[in-house]
Amino acid sequence: MKAGPSQEEIRRHNLGTLLRHVHIGGSMSRAVLAERMGLNRSTILGLVSELGSAGLVREELPRDTGRAGRPSLVVRPESDRVYVLAFDVGVDRLAAARIGLGGVFLDRREIPMAPGRRDAGKVAEILAGSALDMVGTAQHGTYCVGVAAAVRGMVRRPDGLVRAAPHLGWEDEEFGEDLMRRLGLGLPVSVANEASLGALAEHLRGAGTGCQDLVYLHGDIGIGGGVITGGQLLTGDCGYGGEIGHMVVNPRDGRPCGCGAHGCLEAEAGERALLETARRDPTATGREAVRAVVEAADRGDITARAALRDVGDWLGIGVANLVNVLNPRTVVFGGTLREVFLGSAAQIRSRINRLALTSSRENLRLRVGELGDDAVLIGAAELAFSEILVGPLETLARAGA
Amino acid sequence: MTATPNANPNPKPDPILRLRGIDKSFGAVQVLHDVSFDVHPGEVTALVGDNGAGKSTLVKCIGGIHSFDGGEYWFEGEQVQVHSPREAAALGVEIVYQDLALCDNLDIVQNMFLGREKRRGLVLDDATMEEMAAQTLDGLSVRTVTSIRQQVSSLSGGQRQTVAIAKAVLWNNKVVVLDEPTAALGVAQTAQVLELVRRLADNGLAVVLISHNMNDVFAVSDRIAALYLGRMAAQVSTSNVTYSQVVELITSGRSGDLGLAHTNGATA
Repeated sequence: MKAGPSQEEIRRHNLGTLLRHVHIGGSMSRAVLAERMGLNRSTILGLVSELGSAGLVREELPRDTGRAGRPSLVVRPESDRVYVLAFDVGVDRLAAARIGLGGVFLDRREIPMAPGRRDAGKVAEILAGSALDMVGTAQHGTYCVGVAAAVRGMVRRPDGLVRAAPHLGWEDEEFGEDLMRRLGLGLPVSVANEASLGALAEHLRGAGTGCQDLVYLHGDIGIGGGVITGGQLLTGDCGYGGEIGHMVVNPRDGRPCGCGAHGCLEAEAGERALLETARRDPTATGREAVRAVVEAADRGDITARAALRDVGDWLGIGVANLVNVLNPRTVVFGGTLREVFLGSAAQIRSRINRLALTSSRENLRLRVGELGDDAVLIGAAELAFSEILVGPLETLARAGA
Repeated sequence: MTATPNANPNPKPDPILRLRGIDKSFGAVQVLHDVSFDVHPGEVTALVGDNGAGKSTLVKCIGGIHSFDGGEYWFEGEQVQVHSPREAAALGVEIVYQDLALCDNLDIVQNMFLGREKRRGLVLDDATMEEMAAQTLDGLSVRTVTSIRQQVSSLSGGQRQTVAIAKAVLWNNKVVVLDEPTAALGVAQTAQVLELVRRLADNGLAVVLISHNMNDVFAVSDRIAALYLGRMAAQVSTSNVTYSQVVELITSGRSGDLGLAHTNGATA
């Protein structure tokens, strides 16, 4: 039988929890922290001063509150001193960002690239180059405490091996290891699926804040999915869970999908299906092309309208299935699906209302992503921060502070 | 479908605004017949109907511009009399009209406080007004305006709509009525305005959205109220109706077992 947690473990847990509160919630007073954590004020004072002397939080006067009386100090994260590196291997761009504690973008680099196959080593080289550049410009006395990268593909847990990233032509790439070697910061690089990270970001900082059961659908070249259930990201056995884009909705006479099957949600409702049905120029892709279809439909273009109706129908069928299986509180449409949702909400909602079980759908909220194109980077940053939020002092000590 | 479409799925907070049996005539023309209408806090209620169904008249009655001939106006559980826009504003009801009523030659802060300026002694308290305007825009996560000292004439249609809505929120209103806020906006701007509408409700406000665009209605609303020739055809939960049912309610006043009992076009 395991004994209860030791004094030391409890303290470590409380330090992590407090740091998480100010990291996610922003500046707040000790009184608010005491209330949210259910601890007494003197414990909070002790925790704050411990984190403060480690250089993770700072206490300062709030901005003018407009109220009479002496304002109480607020605890805020040391965003300028403690940061992570976040990478997003996109379809048409590589993005790298230096993100401070509290989720503040301190610096970012974007490298456009033509869609298509990419050598993993080359990608790692470019990303490591811009990251080291950003680390170099960071002031003395700042600490990098984690690194994470988002990849559009199947990523194995827990080692982060990229099993397959068809849009890039990757198979069994040790991308994280490679990136770690090239960075040479002595920090492991966590790798995860881009839509899972998008789900995490919208759950913590976007449209799904405060919602413990959420499904995130991310549209770009395909449709990615991330599922949060009971506040936890659904990973499945090996980390491949949540591939909503490959949920089969139309197996009999569906469109062929890149994965080899027919009638996957991605094949029926993805960008390519929309642009093809709307008879758009096949070379134009991405958000602008999708937006142009929605715009045309709005002006009354019959082909564009029919295309959106079709895509909305399939999306509705997909979401109805998810609602029946997962009973989410919120479904968030991100990436290019944001435009698609707003242009075909009537269709999507009607389908869900016809197909999903009444009790599962009655409290369902459909929302568009609030973080836009940054959702994936923000999610990657949250993954990179996860270690310091579990053991703040140990992680910081390892980072050399 | 296993439930009756107009059954309320789960007990929500009581309606903040409740109209019962509203009648309104202009001379010989009766525009509203026995209209009932509920608006709930934290929800977007879409008010839909064909041209001439009485949407604008109903909204003007809510806003105190028209007084109605008969019926009851309940606000926060109490019956009230609303005879002027000032009385409606005092209750916490604000209406954002299509034409927005913004002054082009003033900046965002001046517009938001127009006619209700904060003073410090004899002079205007610009600092406080600026701070309040910035806080309001911030609270609505409005990131599209670069400076709150920008003149309204330099803003795009979507940004103007944003300012008009923010103005309605600034005064701690409880009910905000938006008359076709996305008409004449491009897709990107429509998306911004719809997100704002949704955020208002998620922040606890009761929002009434008048719209002709079914995608907008289904994207943001929690409830749909359909007016047909001056009568309330049905008020239903958005999670219980389909697009074609709503279109039928708008065009014929009924759809299956939803809607008005007999509609032959007679309005007497």
